[in-house]
Order: sequence, then C-alpha cells, then structure tokens
Amino acid sequence: MPKLPRIPNPIGAAATRQTTNPPERADELADFVLQDHRGEDVRLGELWSDGPAVLVWLRHYG
Amino acid sequence: MQLHRHRDEFEEAGARLAAIGQGTPRHAEHFIEEHGLDGMQVLVDPSRKTYEAAGAKIATVDEMWHPRIVARAAKATAGERIVQGRTKGHAAQLGGVLVVARDGRIAWARMADDVSDNPPTEEVLKAARGAADTG
Repeated sequence: MPKLPRIPNPIGAAATRQTTNPPERADELADFVLQDHRGEDVRLGELWSDGPAVLVWLRHYG
Repeated sequence: MQLHRHRDEFEEAGARLAAIGQGTPRHAEHFIEEHGLDGMQVLVDPSRKTYEAAGAKIATVDEMWHPRIVARAAKATAGERIVQGRTKGHAAQLGGVLVVARDGRIAWARMADDVSDNPPTEEVLKAARGAADTG
C-alpha cells in the first residue's frame, strides 16, 4: 500500500505497524474487573460462566 | 463494530454479547440509551488493559486514514446507515472480537488490523453457535 505523506501524529498512532495477538485462552481476561454503565464492578469471567460470550472491544461508541 | 445491532440473534445462538469501550460509565449509559440496548452488558476500560490482554493493537496513521482504508470502511458501513460515534480515549486504539467458550477457551478471534477491519456478523454468529454447541 502506498505510504501517505508524513503528517503530524497528535493522536498517539503507532510509529510502525503492529500485529494483533489474541490469546488462546481467556484466563488472564477472566480476572479483570471493569465497571458497567451503572458504575458497578463486573468480573469478566462471569460473562462466560454459564455459556459462551461474544466480547466486542469497541473503537468508538457508535 | 456494529454487532450490538444483532444482539437478539446472538442470544438465540446461546451466547451472551458484551461490549467493552474506553470512556466512562456515563459514555456506556449513553451508548445503551442511544441504541436501545437495555440488558446488554456494556463495560468501560479507560486504562485499556483488557484491550492489551485481548491482543488488540494501536493503529498507525496509515491504518487509520489511508484513502484505501477509509474507502473500505465507508463501503462496509454504507448499507447499514451507520454513523461512527465519537471516539473516547486513545483514538488509535483498535478493537476486535473474541468468542469465549464456557471453559475459557478462545473459540474464535478477530482483532482489527485497521479501522476498516470489522468481521461479518454471520461469521461471528457461526462461531458463537459453534461454541454454544460444544459447551
């Protein structure tokens, strides 16, 4: 792909192309505790304790 | 990423759909209200630690704004009347999707390679059904 002309990078874009690196298991993810829309803590592992979960990491709310 | 528009289909497939975004609980609440997602788990990760653990990457300028990628993103969303919402937090942080089986195995993964890289809904649904069928 042709490179764009060099432009300012005020948004913290990566300097070089990265690769994605999804895990094979969600063991590390399971222990993270995040807040929901009410500010209540949710342990990620709870999401798939009763069945599969589809986890979507959003780039933006839209 | 517009999978939340198909939440009912994921529930019918036996999978729980959850979204994780940057920002604050207020942003998540607004997202739920705007899209009618009552009952869906929408979480916030302003530290982006789960993004890193999920294997998401930070985009280069080319991966965000190259005309070819912008055109691909526009084409992908044209048929669904999608308008991109406001980006919160790190603007170059890309997202993605993991389907996690009940035993913690990652049954399917697609972390975005650039801003236009969104998996087809049917492909994710197929993975979710497969994970539900295998327990």
